[in-house]
Amino acid sequence: MSKRVFEHPQEEVNGPQYWRSFGQLAQTPEFKEWQAREFQTGASELNPEVGRRGFMKYMAASAALAGLSLSACRREEKTLVPFAQSVEWSVPGKPIFYATSRPHRRGAIPLVATTHDGRPTKVDGNPGHPTNKGATDTQSQASLLDVYDPDRSRRFQLAGKESSEAEFTKWLAGALEKAGDGQGVAFLTEHFTSPTYARLKKAVAAKLPKAMWVTYEPLGGSEASDAHAAAFGADFRTVPQLDKADVILSLDCDFVGFDEGRLEGIRAFSARRKPEQKMNRLYVVENRYTTTGGMADHRLRSQAGKIGAVARAFAEKIAAATGDAGLQSVVDSFPKVSSPEKSAKWIDEATKDLVAQKGKALVLVGYRQPAAVQALGHAMNAALGAIGETVIGRKTHGHGGGNSLKELAVALGLENAEQKKARVEKLTAENAVRKSKHEPELPIAAHGDSSIKTLFILGGNPAYNAPAELKFGELLAGTDVVRHGSYEDETTYSVETDKDGKVTKRIFVKWHVPAAHYLEAWGDGTASDGSHVSQQPMILPLFGGWSEIQLLDFILTGKKSEGLELVQETFKEVARGIDAVSWAKFLHDGFLPAAAPREPIAFNPVTAKEIAAKYVAPAEGMEVVFAPCAKVDDGRFSNNAWIQELPDPITKITWDNAAIISPATAQKLGLGAKKEDGLFDFENGAWLAIEANGAQLEIPVAIIPGTADDSITIAVGYGRTHEGRVGGREGNYMSHGGLFAVKGQVGFNVYPLRTAANHYFATASVKKSNRAAYQLAVTQEHGALEGRGPDVLRQGTKELFDRVPDFAKFVEGMDEYAEERDKQKYPVSRSAYTHPTLNDANHQWGMAIDLSMCTGCSACMIACQSENNIPVVGKEQVIEGRELHWIRMDRYFTSYQSEVRDDENSDKLTTDDFNSREKRIDINEARMVMQPMPCQHCENAPCETVCPVNATVHSDDGINVMAYNRCIGTRYCANNCPFKVRRFNFFDFNERQKDKYFRQNLINEKGMAETLKLSKNPNVTVRMRGVMEKCTFCVQRVQEAKIAAKVKAKDSSNVKVPTDAFKVACQQVCPSEAIVFGNLNDPDSAIVKVKKSERDYRVFDYLGIKPRVSYLARVTNPNPNMPDAPKHVPTQGNDNNDGQREKWKKQQLANAEGGKH
Amino acid sequence: MPQIFQRGANLVPLKILLVLGAFATGAMGAVWYYFTPKYTKIGYQPSQPIPFSHKLHAGQIGIDCRFCHSFAETAAHSNLPSSQVCMSCHSQVQKDNPKLEPLRQAWASGKGVPWVQIHKTPDHVYFNHSVHLNRGVSCVTCHGRVDQMDVVYQAKSLTMEFCLDCHRNPETQLRPLDKVAQLGWTAPTDPLELASLVGKQLGSKTGELNLKPGDKVSPANAQKIMGEHFRDLRGVHPPDSNCAGCHR
Repeated sequence: MSKRVFEHPQEEVNGPQYWRSFGQLAQTPEFKEWQAREFQTGASELNPEVGRRGFMKYMAASAALAGLSLSACRREEKTLVPFAQSVEWSVPGKPIFYATSRPHRRGAIPLVATTHDGRPTKVDGNPGHPTNKGATDTQSQASLLDVYDPDRSRRFQLAGKESSEAEFTKWLAGALEKAGDGQGVAFLTEHFTSPTYARLKKAVAAKLPKAMWVTYEPLGGSEASDAHAAAFGADFRTVPQLDKADVILSLDCDFVGFDEGRLEGIRAFSARRKPEQKMNRLYVVENRYTTTGGMADHRLRSQAGKIGAVARAFAEKIAAATGDAGLQSVVDSFPKVSSPEKSAKWIDEATKDLVAQKGKALVLVGYRQPAAVQALGHAMNAALGAIGETVIGRKTHGHGGGNSLKELAVALGLENAEQKKARVEKLTAENAVRKSKHEPELPIAAHGDSSIKTLFILGGNPAYNAPAELKFGELLAGTDVVRHGSYEDETTYSVETDKDGKVTKRIFVKWHVPAAHYLEAWGDGTASDGSHVSQQPMILPLFGGWSEIQLLDFILTGKKSEGLELVQETFKEVARGIDAVSWAKFLHDGFLPAAAPREPIAFNPVTAKEIAAKYVAPAEGMEVVFAPCAKVDDGRFSNNAWIQELPDPITKITWDNAAIISPATAQKLGLGAKKEDGLFDFENGAWLAIEANGAQLEIPVAIIPGTADDSITIAVGYGRTHEGRVGGREGNYMSHGGLFAVKGQVGFNVYPLRTAANHYFATASVKKSNRAAYQLAVTQEHGALEGRGPDVLRQGTKELFDRVPDFAKFVEGMDEYAEERDKQKYPVSRSAYTHPTLNDANHQWGMAIDLSMCTGCSACMIACQSENNIPVVGKEQVIEGRELHWIRMDRYFTSYQSEVRDDENSDKLTTDDFNSREKRIDINEARMVMQPMPCQHCENAPCETVCPVNATVHSDDGINVMAYNRCIGTRYCANNCPFKVRRFNFFDFNERQKDKYFRQNLINEKGMAETLKLSKNPNVTVRMRGVMEKCTFCVQRVQEAKIAAKVKAKDSSNVKVPTDAFKVACQQVCPSEAIVFGNLNDPDSAIVKVKKSERDYRVFDYLGIKPRVSYLARVTNPNPNMPDAPKHVPTQGNDNNDGQREKWKKQQLANAEGGKH
Repeated sequence: MPQIFQRGANLVPLKILLVLGAFATGAMGAVWYYFTPKYTKIGYQPSQPIPFSHKLHAGQIGIDCRFCHSFAETAAHSNLPSSQVCMSCHSQVQKDNPKLEPLRQAWASGKGVPWVQIHKTPDHVYFNHSVHLNRGVSCVTCHGRVDQMDVVYQAKSLTMEFCLDCHRNPETQLRPLDKVAQLGWTAPTDPLELASLVGKQLGSKTGELNLKPGDKVSPANAQKIMGEHFRDLRGVHPPDSNCAGCHR
């Protein structure tokens, strides 16, 4: 099938290059196919399992059968059952909103949950709360799906057998009676911020004074709190004030991506990324690309283990420049580590910038870095006058503490080699005696005796994610474990397998208690600003789960509480009293503001010095970094299909994790090489064998530009062996066409390589493994656009913006290209297609996306999925290019001439090399830029004219709408879409399970779990097979707003929707407020103001399609003195074309005048 | 040997064709008519768990539609009344009527009365009651004279064509807002009354109603005059070509 190719302008040889993948650079046939076709060949054809011929056969058969049953002739009798007793606030068909919060180890996230008829269907940020102001993150959005996850544990289990709540409570009461003062009782909890939890914990500890309390979080080491304690005192933590900082240095701190207080942080940070105001400047040193690194103005690649050395080099220079004695003393006590010479100039210039902005500078150190490095960071902040200005103090709000996991492990019988030897010898000797006496021999256990009789594990999954050396899962065998969890997972039971991997035995803990989801239980929490937030149940526990506080309260009182009175009791303490009004206000607002949102803190060099002295430099050589996953967190979201299918913001990998390495490292390891023609030939999915901390892991690689050399990053939280159908389950439940390395397992588990001492990075030995390449489902080439990168994604520097504010309006070689075409009788900014009438004078909808602020976090994709009932398709289908996300988060790498360095660290290029494409593109130092791409709602939409059945048409208010029930699935529209934003339902993704898409029986069994049906938004059609879909501008919200305006209008003709009365889902979730949507015909609306920006441009404007979505050009704020500062402006919007610009402007004006609609 | 086929046999194929043709036409006609929603849907009158008479309640007693269907003006759905609403009268009235047994059971058990749904739009249609009622489209437009039905049945086809007829010509249905729930109300045919309703003088000048007192106005014409007035007054412009108005 060939199609007529529109001739887009050629890419300029000397200009910046934008590329999605090595495949694009090399112009591989695979990439060209992605670019040329709307769907990959594989996607358009049926899988070989059912060829076209077979398909016809089955179609005929099903048609015949349909004729036999006259099911369509009788109307199905359906009943409507009203309430017996009216329920307060319940209006059928109207959503009810409740303020609640999601518990999180670093501060509860305040939310507003939308419920339809008593079932939560969407969560969003609480717009009234100062920390997130209505924004949310990926996980909060996706947590909704967990409520309805049919794989969540549904029953009380006694040693693997179904039991009941009554049995459990009876047993528990007995066990507590025997426990006495708590000797031999231990509690293992997650890090929590709930005051009620803390209060009950205290009370239980008073009742069982000898009980052991352990808090464990796989991603929450004690480094940050140790460093805070040393630098400021035990009660305090620091919170960056990113809106106040002019210069920010981040040493491995992913503050816009994953680290502390991110929602608060992103908003404050991105507010300063608008070039119209004073911009901040961000220097980032990190080992792998994070979204923070993507936002950086200057970025230095460094191994995670070398961050300490970089920090010391910075500290030394800052101390010298500021003459700060405190910092100097901390630096002096910090062991001398070889400072990276190659980056000396980079550090030098960045230091100058930081010192020059004293009082407005900020240093952030990643909180998984050693405490010594973090203490150094605090010292630098003190020297730069940041304390109290760009960094404020707050009281610690977490409730951790107690014993360490290691102490618990020892109590459970963990022994060192000597102890084990002694025990085994003793037992062997005793057995020898017994043998001689013909007595039964004693079994030799794998570990020592446990001094713990009853262990309560509240949440978490320690058997899966505890430090490897503890072998925690094995230790559970000798103890009565009461496991409270959402899934019957690795902690609930372990398996023994034979050689073929067949399960021979399952060993269960004593009790498994199903946990209630946070949307099912009463609770409370402390947000990251210290405010007391509510947590309300939206629905009764679907599977009869208990919340943690219910369990603790049962231990205390012997009765099962609703949870409400427990939370009220705490509220009474926090708010100093309770009455109906204050309680109702608390539930309504969702929070009680923090009494003191900032505490005075002072840096203490004496204690900081001590902790700095404890720094131990890691060994040289290859390192492996155990990175938190931006998707599954520590693994707790791994059974969430929305999360699994979300392309990772950086790697664009779905349904897997991989070892991320740099191109140079890949070459070193023999995983690819430069070809003769100067192009790159890398093999994603080749296997690496990694050995670290005495454990081995084989894992495929993903080669990502911008990664530090000799550094392997692997996201934790994958390779679950038994959790659920999505995240991984022992046995072979999910086929996925054999696409996973281990059947039924998603990704690779890196926890066995991770020890308590090396929980963030470890030295590793690595070699190539000679297995056949693994197939990763990477979406980076999906939807590759024709046309030139610099037109699609326009960016410039602050310096350029100040000089030529409208640099993005006119791209040389691009916008006059349209003119050129005009000469050839192609109309400019007019279309071959009839323009829609657009006769709604009140409303014309439009959107603008600010690329300066977009971090690429992809929360919008999940919010859209949740709002618009977008199904998940599975790994196999993603590989075929059939994923259905309405927003495509395009991640480009770009290199420009500035990348050529003239300082000593440049080992590559000279100015003469500019004309060689190969040399201009430095794949190791590539910059990363993000561009969300929803349907652009072109006014002259190419998709509409080719639809043979008018299924996609333009609405009066300027939305390109889809009438699903009209669509017959010709896919002509997708073929004609220059943005490739249309998605096609190749199968009944909503109705079938992921391994049953290919069931040849077309009168198929319907497979969607009942519970999942409850998660759907009732205001959006659930699409079926054979239907095209795409972004609708959340037309359901548009319609609701218009209807509300009309209802209010009554007899008057004022039916205009009030200014910015509603937000679309992606706009609502966006933590950096990069997305603006609104009414273009309302002069007061935010969208009108944003679209007036000089940076506003439309992609592919030269096609004359008039997209309603426009982008605001990305502006960075580089420091001209830096070695990696752009020497050449990274956009074609150059300043030498004033004549052409004026001409073009006039042309635009003329078009606007003459061509109005 | 005599001929097997008589002369008249020549016409047999033609006759067969004619008969077959008639059959085919008949069959087509039958499908044409009987397979349409007009036939399959209009008149759908399932038996309900309680023989509730709208004729009695809405017609004779004169209870406003919105007393029971209380959210029709605020929500997309027009709700069925909860058992509590029924019991607010029937705990006093007709206390022992055996026909009300399902209601009393529902009230006692807390499980609502399973009424059989009559009016139904397809799943991909998002109909909103509140916007229609608040802009002057009466219940009667889609539901017919429910106040005259002993057992409710579907009176209108509720097909897309049915919706579009009105969306394209809203003046055929618009009426004063205080009359939306008065099912029997029609536009006044007396010129003076009509003029005062639409706020105009009688006369022939522009801006006046071109009628004389005592003129005969047909009900359809009266509705048109009134509907056009309200259409212009309220700026009614229902989605007629915008699919997203009803399909999301």
